[in-house]
Amino acid sequence: MKFADFISREAIRADLAAVDKEGTIREMVQALLDAGNVDAQEFESIVKAILKREELGSTGIGRGVAVPHTKHPSVDRLVGTVAVSREGVDFASLDGETAQLFFLLISPPDRPGEHLRALENISRKVHDDAFRRFLKQAKNVEDIQQLLDEADNNQFG
Amino acid sequence: MCQSKITRKVIITNSEGLHARAATLVAEMVRRFEARVKLAKDCEGVEGTDVLQILSLGAAQGEQLMLEATGEDAERVLDALIDLFASNFAENGENSEEAENQP
Repeated sequence: MKFADFISREAIRADLAAVDKEGTIREMVQALLDAGNVDAQEFESIVKAILKREELGSTGIGRGVAVPHTKHPSVDRLVGTVAVSREGVDFASLDGETAQLFFLLISPPDRPGEHLRALENISRKVHDDAFRRFLKQAKNVEDIQQLLDEADNNQFG
Repeated sequence: MCQSKITRKVIITNSEGLHARAATLVAEMVRRFEARVKLAKDCEGVEGTDVLQILSLGAAQGEQLMLEATGEDAERVLDALIDLFASNFAENGENSEEAENQP
């Protein structure tokens, strides 16, 4: 599965303003709302579901990356977005580091395979030191879009 | 002195596969023991303490993994991991992430 299959390009954010976990999640779901990928009346329900998932265990997977996510009945296909925080956010990651790169995923409740393949793709690419470094250094949304395209063309990971 | 390596096979029965929460539980479990653990799907082996690497396996329901351990706690960590996989990564006796999606 490629980034192009599930990342909403219009919802990418290159400079998150949020300073904590909940703020980060709200800002990213707002980005998906602004891009037309989620319904306004589902906004709070989606944010609450993602936060509830975080209570089960942090989605900070290490190396400055977090993958907040939830299943939600309001989406009929997997949708996601990417955001970068210059300052980093405390996400209670297992390795103790702050998170700067965020991949937020919302998936339909009955398709765990897609969700897993998206996680596999994300983790393979961010395992590449160069990909992570370039993403953290991205100056704008276009930079990030280009990096995702390059990753999809197997230039990383 | 060479440390002997122990290997076990495990099949993923969890419907979500080795997703983020499961991978985190595996990494947390491995960190509790004095052992080095690798997980492999096909020929690809990854570090058992690294959530990101575990996720990169994309191991789905029905797939088989090879668990490999060396060190003082090799036997015990593999026993604990086999139990964890067999529980479908349940916490408190139920699979919390699936349970929350029940109507």
